[in-house]
Amino acid sequence: MQTNSARPAIEVRDLVVGNGDVTAVRGVSFTIPQGGRMGLVGESGSGKSMTALALMGLLPMGWSTRGSILHDGVDLVTQSDRALSSRRGRTLSMVFQDPLSSLNPVRRVGDQISSVIRRHTGADKRTAEAQTVELMKQMNLPRAEQLVRAYPHEISGGQRQRIMIAMALACYPQLIIADEPTTALDVTVQKQVLRLLNGAVRDRGSALLMITHDLPIIAAMCDTVAVMYAGRIVEIGPVQEVFRNPRHHYTRGLLDSQPTMDNIALDGSSRLVSIPGMVPPLHALPTGCAFNPRCPAATDKCREQMPELGAEALRAACWHPLAKVGEVAAQ
Amino acid sequence: MSTVTPFPAEVRPLLEVRQLSQVYHLNRQNLFGPRPTLKVLDTIDFAVRPGEAVGLVGESGSGKTTLTRMLTGVEKPREGQVLYDGVDVWLGGEAHRKLFRRSVQVVLQNPRSSLDPRMRVGTSLLEPLRSLRIEGDHAARVLEVLDQVGLDKNALERFPHEFSGGQLQRIAIARALMPGPKVLIADEPVSALDVSIQAQVLNLLKDLVKNLGLGLVFIAHDLSVVAYTTSRVSVMSAGKIVEVGKPLDLFNRPQADATKALVGAILSVESGLAGNALA
Amino acid sequence: MTDIAATAPIAPKKRRRLSLNATLVVGIVLTIGFLVVALVSFFWLPSNPNIPVIKNRMLPPFLPDHWLGTDGLGRDIVAQLMVGARTSILVGAGGATVSLILGTITGLIAAAYGKLADETISRGADIMLSIPGMVTALVLAATMGSGALTTIFALTAFFTPSFTRVIRSAAMSVLQEDFITSAKLYGRGKLFILARHVIPNIAGVMIVQFTLYFAAGILTEAGLSYLGVGVTRPSISWGMMLNEAQQTVGISSPLAIWPGLAIVLVVLGLNLLGDGLRDVLDPKLKRRS
Repeated sequence: MQTNSARPAIEVRDLVVGNGDVTAVRGVSFTIPQGGRMGLVGESGSGKSMTALALMGLLPMGWSTRGSILHDGVDLVTQSDRALSSRRGRTLSMVFQDPLSSLNPVRRVGDQISSVIRRHTGADKRTAEAQTVELMKQMNLPRAEQLVRAYPHEISGGQRQRIMIAMALACYPQLIIADEPTTALDVTVQKQVLRLLNGAVRDRGSALLMITHDLPIIAAMCDTVAVMYAGRIVEIGPVQEVFRNPRHHYTRGLLDSQPTMDNIALDGSSRLVSIPGMVPPLHALPTGCAFNPRCPAATDKCREQMPELGAEALRAACWHPLAKVGEVAAQ
Repeated sequence: MSTVTPFPAEVRPLLEVRQLSQVYHLNRQNLFGPRPTLKVLDTIDFAVRPGEAVGLVGESGSGKTTLTRMLTGVEKPREGQVLYDGVDVWLGGEAHRKLFRRSVQVVLQNPRSSLDPRMRVGTSLLEPLRSLRIEGDHAARVLEVLDQVGLDKNALERFPHEFSGGQLQRIAIARALMPGPKVLIADEPVSALDVSIQAQVLNLLKDLVKNLGLGLVFIAHDLSVVAYTTSRVSVMSAGKIVEVGKPLDLFNRPQADATKALVGAILSVESGLAGNALA
Repeated sequence: MTDIAATAPIAPKKRRRLSLNATLVVGIVLTIGFLVVALVSFFWLPSNPNIPVIKNRMLPPFLPDHWLGTDGLGRDIVAQLMVGARTSILVGAGGATVSLILGTITGLIAAAYGKLADETISRGADIMLSIPGMVTALVLAATMGSGALTTIFALTAFFTPSFTRVIRSAAMSVLQEDFITSAKLYGRGKLFILARHVIPNIAGVMIVQFTLYFAAGILTEAGLSYLGVGVTRPSISWGMMLNEAQQTVGISSPLAIWPGLAIVLVVLGLNLLGDGLRDVLDPKLKRRS
């Protein structure tokens, strides 16, 4: 689905992440080309955040990775902590959900940005500081010259997240991973931050991996989407196709569960279609397709054999994929 | 205030606040200066009737949380009245206050935090009955309520960490239903839940309003979630209710700036796919 | 993406978990051993640890009648160690228990009964903690006379403020949880909330702190007895044995080793127990993955 003219920004093959007791990511593969934007959707426990942490080499203690993560000509899985650390912020960087706990509370925000620049580019102090102010202006931060001297607690949540984005973008990374970057923000600020991230990523030509449970954000920001369920990608493809014409019943369910203004009944009597049941705990996954206990189309085959992601025509890991629009509009 | 009255005027509100104001005193900026004040609620009128679901939306800092504290009787207002069944909660005497406590129940945002991790679910469910000294067949009541929220009775012997977020929110709703309330106040009840679970809990709340004739106050920051659950929404901003209306009217013809900001903030899959979501 | 990659269990990285359990097991074994020795001393001793037997002076260890030999006055070392274990438990557990009770009461009051109570108790604890413990103990011993009770009293004075602080901060974080708000909303009072919601949720912290201060109490008691202001005969303390061994250290150095070893093993055991329990009782580790 992606024609790679150059080396992709990241190529993940058969990624498995576990801690000995449970396996949170069970064989995930995807490729993001240079400048591409992929969304990774899933509910809590789907393994989406563990995937992100594995890519960054930031897994919690006791967790380990198998498979390969090709990025910038090396396999990140085999890299030393030290080598990974020198990459973070330079060729790949991450924006976390909670900007308050991701910033150092006792350092001025300007110093935090400029130290990233100095560390990775070797620029001198004055140059780095000038670049910091410039970067903060690009992030639409007001009065950037004064704001560099502020401490994280002195600025608003939206401003903190812009600072985080500025830090992530400071060195023109090939790939930016954003893990629920607007979940902790007020709704009215969310859109501004997304717009900013969108523009900034585009201007730098970086690739984006957007991790979220929020489908509208993916629709607005990404060109490809991978839907994760219980540690596996169950459907992957271009956003337009997957969201308009989902093949996997889980994707369909997620789309139907969205409370939107577009399909609300006038008298408030509308009911959301909901997916019954709950995400299975990692230590007690059902056999076969992990979604089978919640799936309206599950058969014995689904309970016995695990479906795999196939070629383009079979982009959903499902034994009974939904029909394409135009064939039958059932379900 | 309200331009939309889906109920005849003679249906008396169950829970109502009238001309409610609250002022907080902040710390002095210098040693001898006056203490600055912050008007967190400014002459608020708000009411919920039996069988009616009303929404309260606003950004953080708009005064939603303080109003919730007033509606639940946690905080005493400086000016104005909180009325339950037409009687002032703070002046109505001990018997009325007990009736109010029993009749107005709350569901909070984070189900992991709202149940004691060291208490079995069954014990947690009985707590409101024991605390409010409500007589009757407690065991039968527990089973009845579990059935209403769609949980199995083997949940009773288990501890909260054995449940998922969605199940815990059902348990929290069950606990709120135990004393047989007339009004349920749900403060961001789905914002900590996964999308597919949100829909289950929203549907459950709607069913409870319909089947039990409860009054529901649904507080959230997300207009689209509120719109699904309620028939009338009040928009709060800077301590005031700036607009009241049916959700769709607010969505299509927002009047107040705060409403426009909230409507503008809504992202949908459709607008995203059309490429104009972030325009 | 092959099926094997997805289903095969990932290479186990269990080292950390195993060592957690080992911590707890070693801690439990050492602690139980210590308690058993103290218990047995009430029913059986190899010989009277307080009666000097001149002909048996300074016997070397590993004799059939005197497993670890005798001291400068011919008293059996094993018997003395056994009675010393009793003192350690009495003083260590006594000091830790009284401080735990006082610290819990004051910590809960500070956490739950308003700013004035909190300021008063927290500043009081700060002042108490700024007084050097050993000096207080020496003054107490000088004024009240030395003995187990004085030592427990002194330990309570140094430990309580630390317990107060720990309990206060643990209770405050529980009090911020929504289930406390819920309990208030359906009309539960402060005392009920503290007893039924807060204490069960901080019990893990209390148990861990208790084991750590039990160990600290044993060390402090040994220190005081070594300085001669702890217990006096007929009670026996490991610190006292160290003091007495010092007088004969030129002649028979092993005499100082036995009580020293006993102190090290027991303190180590209690600390391992505390650390192990901390990991097991931490609700964050018990939560769903």
